[in-house]
Amino acid sequence: MTDMKNTDMEEINIATDVLVLGGGLTGIKAASEIAGSGYKVILVEKDAELGSQKGPESLIGLEEEYKGLQDLDDKIKADSNVEILTQTSLVSTAGVTGDFIARLSKGEEVIEHNVGAIVVATDFSVGALNEKYGLSLTDNVLTQSRMDELLASEADKEKLANKTVAFLVGLGQEGNPLVLERVLRSVLALQEIDGCNVYIYAGELKVASNGLERMYKDSREKGAVFFKLTEKPEIVENGKTISFFDPVARRDIEISPDLIVVEEEMSANHLNEELAEILRIDVGPLGFLQKDNVHFFPIRSNREGIFVAGSTREISGLPSAWTDVENIAVEVRNLLGDGKKSVAKNKAIVDEAKCVICLTCYRCCPHGAIYWGDKKAIISPVACQGCGICASECPMDAIQIGGFDDGAMSEEVKNGVVSGNGTPRIIAFCCQNSGFEAGEMADVFKLQLPDGLRMIKVPCAGKIDIDYILNAFVAGADGVMVMACHPGNCKSENGNTYAQWRVNDAYRMLEEVGLEKDRLCFVGTASNMGSGFSSIVVDMEKRINELGLSPLK
Amino acid sequence: MSTKNKKVMVIGGGIAGLTAAWELSRFNIDVELIEKTPFLGGYAIRYCCKATDECRQCGACTVEAMLKNVVNEPKIRVHLATDVEKINNSGRLSVDLKKSSYKPDSATEGVIRGYSKNNSPLHVIVDKEKCEENPDAVPEGAVELDTMGFSGKLDVDAVILASGFKPFDAEQKGTYGYEKFPNVVTGMDLELIIRENATVVRPSDGKTAQKIAFIQCVGSRDESLGNLWCSQVCCPYALRMAERIKHKNADAEITVFYMDIQNVGKDYAGFYEKCKTEFRFVRNIPVDVFPMENDSLSMRYMNEEDGLCINEEFDLLVLSVGIMPGPDNSNLSDLFDVVLNEDGFFAGIDKLNSTSTLKDGIFLAGTVAGPKDIAASMAHAGQAASEVIKHLGVS
Repeated sequence: MTDMKNTDMEEINIATDVLVLGGGLTGIKAASEIAGSGYKVILVEKDAELGSQKGPESLIGLEEEYKGLQDLDDKIKADSNVEILTQTSLVSTAGVTGDFIARLSKGEEVIEHNVGAIVVATDFSVGALNEKYGLSLTDNVLTQSRMDELLASEADKEKLANKTVAFLVGLGQEGNPLVLERVLRSVLALQEIDGCNVYIYAGELKVASNGLERMYKDSREKGAVFFKLTEKPEIVENGKTISFFDPVARRDIEISPDLIVVEEEMSANHLNEELAEILRIDVGPLGFLQKDNVHFFPIRSNREGIFVAGSTREISGLPSAWTDVENIAVEVRNLLGDGKKSVAKNKAIVDEAKCVICLTCYRCCPHGAIYWGDKKAIISPVACQGCGICASECPMDAIQIGGFDDGAMSEEVKNGVVSGNGTPRIIAFCCQNSGFEAGEMADVFKLQLPDGLRMIKVPCAGKIDIDYILNAFVAGADGVMVMACHPGNCKSENGNTYAQWRVNDAYRMLEEVGLEKDRLCFVGTASNMGSGFSSIVVDMEKRINELGLSPLK
Repeated sequence: MSTKNKKVMVIGGGIAGLTAAWELSRFNIDVELIEKTPFLGGYAIRYCCKATDECRQCGACTVEAMLKNVVNEPKIRVHLATDVEKINNSGRLSVDLKKSSYKPDSATEGVIRGYSKNNSPLHVIVDKEKCEENPDAVPEGAVELDTMGFSGKLDVDAVILASGFKPFDAEQKGTYGYEKFPNVVTGMDLELIIRENATVVRPSDGKTAQKIAFIQCVGSRDESLGNLWCSQVCCPYALRMAERIKHKNADAEITVFYMDIQNVGKDYAGFYEKCKTEFRFVRNIPVDVFPMENDSLSMRYMNEEDGLCINEEFDLLVLSVGIMPGPDNSNLSDLFDVVLNEDGFFAGIDKLNSTSTLKDGIFLAGTVAGPKDIAASMAHAGQAASEVIKHLGVS
């Protein structure tokens, strides 16, 4: 390894305590793993007891393993590296990774902690879906949770002998493997009880989890009858009879069950949105705290140093929550190290003479890396990802990104406008994560590329200032392309959206000066799209050839 | 952090092996990455981008990024075309390696190319005679397969098995006519068709396919084969590719034959609803495929509404093949003394410790331990790295 870059580096001290929000099993496991790697952990739980949120649902299929979890509460209480705060909630946060200030309220008391990283570990909520089937909950119409309770008690279990039990699953919601696993587990348990007959009315069986197909087969072999339906069966008198038309047998099939067990939905914790606001992280689909963006998987949020575990980010059973937690433990160590962090000095520089603290950068930074002091905005070198969205959005042009400052970029554009024997001169601003990689791939694989194409690498499409586009035309480009990540794939979340807006603005300006719109284009690309890149740029050259070379040069 | 002299062997250079190697290297651990074929990247590096107007979260691009990380990391030593010979377990694990007996599946050319620009070498000569016949066709920098591979002994402190999976061999389901009828392809083939052509063409005539059928669960959830698992990736890849096809060609008519559609993405219900408006879903798995004129294919299936049999013709049939245990599993299981589960995948200690094995110092990452998509393989590899770091006492 070379030390060349060290001249531009500086060492800063960062806080190494870690805040874990949520004292369920996932949170406890996170605290234990992180404390195990030598960091002090503050474990915060809003209820009076740790582990109190651990419903049976998260333990489904883990009977053996659960024996090892029963002492997890005790172990964490005995860990001197873990400070446990129960009946406590997060009120506000300030600062950035390596230097977060978390304000916690415990009754009347407000406690402040300086932490380097934050782990969010909320559990999912469980809700009854009986209304979706037109059913009221009674002694004979039960939720899945109630059935789990009955099966957990020997006395209650006996009462289930000789009963006919009908399960309704996947017809009141799309469902997921965890919902099905709960059903199959109780079906298998019921089949151990004398004279129990089990019928399952199912929509789509969500078997996409290890071991479920085998459980499905085992329960059928033991006598459970599955009716796979495309719509809800007809349910009469709150479940006295259930019937449907069987298209294969070509007749109605009617059953009068003693008990009906209705599936439950698992949804995001109701605290998530509030936490997201306090932490300035994104709320993703269905109220979970992670956007559907592959660059965040498995455990990243949009902010460096804030991690999301298990059911905070999607419906998770304990096995996948454990996987998340171990990934977080690794990331926390990588991030915090021994509290001394080497960072690039010039990652993002704010010019004090130009900055008017308008806070545009603070608002547009997708990583929450910017705060402000007395005289200027301050960009944390630890939290900053170098995307440059702030630099392009800054109305005062007060921000420069190391390696991609405006001067260097404009020089590259000028040098890039070269013609290959009168062929169109095309400047392609390429995100280094997608368009640039795809272009290199096309080049290495010797796919067709226009002679006059020059790729200009940017850290993120969000760095492409509208001035870059217009200056490229002024410098004599016949065409300009902006090659960003597809929407939903930007590492900086919305750098591509900013780029698209700027291209739209540029279209209007081109129109005003009488330049054809077709000379500019915005395309979504991905790093593995070599052939796609080739066909896109070849098409662009064709379009420009039809228009002729630029009248500006 | 003291990690002096700690060294870990990662067996398998697919997405799980790459991720595990990279995560370990970030802790200053030396990694010996062993790959049987001449190229890193495994199957996942072959997948196409499935974005429409927007990203569809298939994760194929993250494989490129991880491969780039690995090839630029000096702490990771890559041994291509190399296989495990035996292990000698005394204190440190001593592993004997040998040149692999890798042969490409179908070498019609003398030279094969890696799927990523980050593959090094990018071109490998597999048939010297063919190359000598036409030396101009041999790209610069091509390396002879015979000269690749590492033989010798390496002492390491832990081993991560990340040797991956095998796509189901569709020829086993003979009635689908795979390899007999040109327009019957697997999901894996379709990935490559889209990747190489940036559009979906029929293998028989290179024309754009208009009427396309996907058959799900080919090789998975199949009692007759004894394959009692859901491969977890086929519904996502099939629906994402179908979406991509429809996006490029709004006139394409797509039918999906299925048993149960598995969830795709975080907003799975919304995505499925959208798919239902664009494709026809038939809850029936056809058994027989018959060749028709113009290399079209006729299939017979039962109509759910009236229970009657229907014959219908399609331009292109895509078999959504699933994830099968890797071909080397039983050999590796013997060599490393780690048991396989009843399905033939490697067994972790339990569900919560699925990357650790009962054998001290041997860990698992990715599909070697059961079906996973790209994101789940990467997460599993991260978990394995975490366990290895704890095992080595790196602090």
